[in-house]
Amino acid sequence: MAVSAARVIAGEWASGKHSRLFPSPAAAITAFSFAIAGLASFCTEADGVLSSRVKIFDRDLKRKHRDRAAWLMGGKNDFVDSVAENLLDRLEDCKKTFSTALCLGGSSEAIRRLIRGRGGIEKLIMMDMSLDMVKHLKNTEQNYVSNNLETLYMVGDEEFLPIKENSLELVVSCLGLHWTNDLPGAMIQCRLALKPDGLFLAAILGGETLKELRMACTIAQLEREGGISPRMSPLAQVRDAGNLLTRAGFALPGVDVDEYTVRYDSALELIEHLRTMGETNALLQRSNILKRDTALATAAVYESMFAAEDGKIPATFQVIYMTGWKEHPSQQKSKSRGSATISFEDIQNHFRSNEVS
Amino acid sequence: MVRGSRAHAGAISKALLDILVCPVSKQPLRFCQETQSLISDAIGVSFPVVDEIPCLVPRDGKIIEDKEKMTSANGPGSAHHHR
Repeated sequence: MAVSAARVIAGEWASGKHSRLFPSPAAAITAFSFAIAGLASFCTEADGVLSSRVKIFDRDLKRKHRDRAAWLMGGKNDFVDSVAENLLDRLEDCKKTFSTALCLGGSSEAIRRLIRGRGGIEKLIMMDMSLDMVKHLKNTEQNYVSNNLETLYMVGDEEFLPIKENSLELVVSCLGLHWTNDLPGAMIQCRLALKPDGLFLAAILGGETLKELRMACTIAQLEREGGISPRMSPLAQVRDAGNLLTRAGFALPGVDVDEYTVRYDSALELIEHLRTMGETNALLQRSNILKRDTALATAAVYESMFAAEDGKIPATFQVIYMTGWKEHPSQQKSKSRGSATISFEDIQNHFRSNEVS
Repeated sequence: MVRGSRAHAGAISKALLDILVCPVSKQPLRFCQETQSLISDAIGVSFPVVDEIPCLVPRDGKIIEDKEKMTSANGPGSAHHHR
């Protein structure tokens, strides 16, 4: 089920635009502190209206992150491009065409850019939580006229999908769903929005993501503050992904994993990359204070522990790809238990006799 | 820019309006020309439309206080059940 391959992508994602945003090192450090500030703890405080639902992420803050990502976007982002390419590649594996597709937030820009007629998509609906992101996508539409797509835009929340039942043939989500508080719920809503035999394709970040940064944060905090607090989101593990698909009711579930190593010039550059992707901390119970001292120590620990010989800083991103279909009578199903009419022994004998002859 | 080939229901494309529902109740939405917003009659909430982009995050919705206005905004011919 799980196929793992390690890839190395040169960390040349940054463009001049970013360095202009944080002209002085001090500003960059503040940005760094802000980006990794936050205490990760499971918040069990239930929202009055939504009763027992567990809230882990601050969706409003995530929305602001996505706004900021829309302003920062534009540089080359090899990591996101590879993930989007890998995800879209799956459309070529099936003969079916998908006339109406919904592209959920995350790296929707890369999806639209790389789709190149795959999957026979005629109508593409782009949805994101951030209005600025959707506006950005809309304003850059003329660059992709050759796609011959009818592209529609809307602002929506994956947790409250505003799409009519049985109206889509494909739902693509590239690096967005790991920020939902209720991932199974979001996936169930996607399934409901799909037509029978519709395809759900998603890429989410897995638990091994940024393990180096996790370690560096822990060590630096121990050293400077005498105690530790988790500073990064809990992410889905590979073993959970299959369960998620089955729980959401998808047929023929498929899960595979890819690990990417992105190389940066410095730990601060890594944080800036996270900001352009809108992937910085959005835990509900986060502390807004991170001492500059601790932030600098984190960067120093990161560099001393993980830097390569050429001085580059590697960061691991684990991406879990999930594929699921909405049920349809034409899909293959396993037969019920005990319905077999041939014993395995006979099959074995059959093959053995073939070998001899 | 609005492409001429697209059929429009006011400011939003018809194709989009056909598949959109209220994010909370999953009931149909009605486009109101006057206020340029999408109204969910089921829960009495209006969602803004900005630059032809419907904003359907529950937090963006505004509860319609004025029932009267809601009725008047409901153009002739459209089904509106008395609440």
